[in-house]
Amino acid sequence: MECRVLSIQSHVVRGYVGNKSATFPLQVLGFEVDSINSVQFSNHTGYAHWKGQVLTAEELNVLYEGIKLNKVNHYDYILTGYSRDTSFLEMVVDIIQELKKANPSLVYVCDPVMGDHGAMYVPENLLPVYRDKVVPLADILTPNQFEAELLTGRKINTQQDAVEVMDLLHKMGPETVVLTSTDLPSKHGDQFLVALGSQKIVKPDGTNSSQKICMDIPKVDAVFVGTGDLFAAMLLAWTHHHPRDLKTACEKTVSVMHHVVKRTITYATEMAGPGKRPSPAQLELRMVQSKADIENPAIVVEAKVL
Amino acid sequence: MECRVLSIQSHVVRGYVGNKSATFPLQVLGFEVDSINSVQFSNHTGYAHWKGQVLTAEELNVLYEGIKLNKVNHYDYILTGYSRDTSFLEMVVDIIKELKKANPSLVYVCDPVMGDHGAMYVPENLLPVYRDKVVPLADILTPNQFEAELLTGRKINTQQDAVEFNLLSLVVLYHHPVVTVVKPDGTNSSQKICMDIPKVDAVFVGTGDLFAAMLLAWTHHHPKDLKTACEKTVSVMHHVVKRTITYATEMAGPGKRPSPAQLELRMVQSKADIENPAIVVEAKVL
Repeated sequence: MECRVLSIQSHVVRGYVGNKSATFPLQVLGFEVDSINSVQFSNHTGYAHWKGQVLTAEELNVLYEGIKLNKVNHYDYILTGYSRDTSFLEMVVDIIQELKKANPSLVYVCDPVMGDHGAMYVPENLLPVYRDKVVPLADILTPNQFEAELLTGRKINTQQDAVEVMDLLHKMGPETVVLTSTDLPSKHGDQFLVALGSQKIVKPDGTNSSQKICMDIPKVDAVFVGTGDLFAAMLLAWTHHHPRDLKTACEKTVSVMHHVVKRTITYATEMAGPGKRPSPAQLELRMVQSKADIENPAIVVEAKVL
Repeated sequence: MECRVLSIQSHVVRGYVGNKSATFPLQVLGFEVDSINSVQFSNHTGYAHWKGQVLTAEELNVLYEGIKLNKVNHYDYILTGYSRDTSFLEMVVDIIKELKKANPSLVYVCDPVMGDHGAMYVPENLLPVYRDKVVPLADILTPNQFEAELLTGRKINTQQDAVEFNLLSLVVLYHHPVVTVVKPDGTNSSQKICMDIPKVDAVFVGTGDLFAAMLLAWTHHHPKDLKTACEKTVSVMHHVVKRTITYATEMAGPGKRPSPAQLELRMVQSKADIENPAIVVEAKVL
């Protein structure tokens, strides 16, 4: 397989978020990963302390210039995640536009990281940049419920709302949309969260339609960091292998997440000791230990076609 | 296996040198790798063009401070490679000293990158820092012949010259086509081995970084068996390089020399060889 990904995300010295979370699993699956580190921090910001440096929009451009001057600015995929300022995001947009010109079949996998549970954790002025410039370039989009509501201006209270929001997002750009988590009630009870996906397809008679799926995912009682970055990376990998089968791609993606998270919570609670809440350091994803699950995930979730 | 490595090396957006060369193979072998990127460049400096940013000694210290404040400055191994300025290298020395205090069993694997084939490709003022401050802290050292000669002030013309090194616990001299290893332990005896390694007709970048990382891994698994550790390390190198040269010559086309981009190590494609290297070189015990 000859497939090259450009991933523009954070780097942490210790732990698994951003590029640290995305790179190893993609490499294990045989993807060539070029990575631009948008920041270098000691660790993620959920620890008591964190220190490091950020890359400016101009420095990002300089790195891209180096790639371009060597005529190796040819990618099959781009992957982006958390961004914290508009000038950086605008430079990312320019780079993606140029890379799409260089390779019109390029697939841009975009996690529009803005917030969760009703609150933004990036500056508000990122929203119009995502809505008006980034999302129109995206081919695969992985918003959570809150981000999908922000981008479309529509609230999601029912499954029908979710379906309509995904269709609105298709109109804005991406052919594939996965709502990675919602507050919709699961038929399996409150220990499960509901995720949905939609992929535009062309039917045998030539008309446009979409395949919509729904998954009930077991909740885990802990705060993990880096799981969204792992999700987007694995969705990239599994939609690459199953380009017309969102059901299978999502089942594999969600299953990998499940195995990694389960291994992590087991280790973390053991390290913390009985009756103690695990620390952020103990809750770092057990990524290298999950190599076999990443390579060949046992399917533990079934997606239902709506 | 619960083993954490701190690797302080370069990062390139594209290709495999420094941390890009060391991290994936170590992770594939189950090591936790914390990585401090000493630079971020678009690609290695053998291409026609390269652009990017360097980390200052102070910025390195800030990153280490973050790790320390969270009380997670505990490592089993440190790995360092190419460094281009003395202030950065001196900060690395301070960090290693502190980490060794935090964990006295820490093993420092040091590639004293200074030059090759009789010429230095780092500033000359790095030599005294390596010789007087870095090498005394190292537990495993991987100089080539030129670097070993610089560090000791002794020329190597014969195998006996190579054997007479008395530096520290483990020295691997990587010099085509002979690898000589000297390993003194507490009882004043040492296991010395020698290997004949096939040359490949191309310039590879990042192979030294891969070598040091794999030597870390295989000496970890074979701490009392240097022969096996080196056979595995050199065998992994062989498989990666062979796969790379095959791909590169195919991409270049008949009669054309492969470009630096084409010669990037076929790292992700070599996963199986990294996990379980078929032994293709035999080390001789001297």
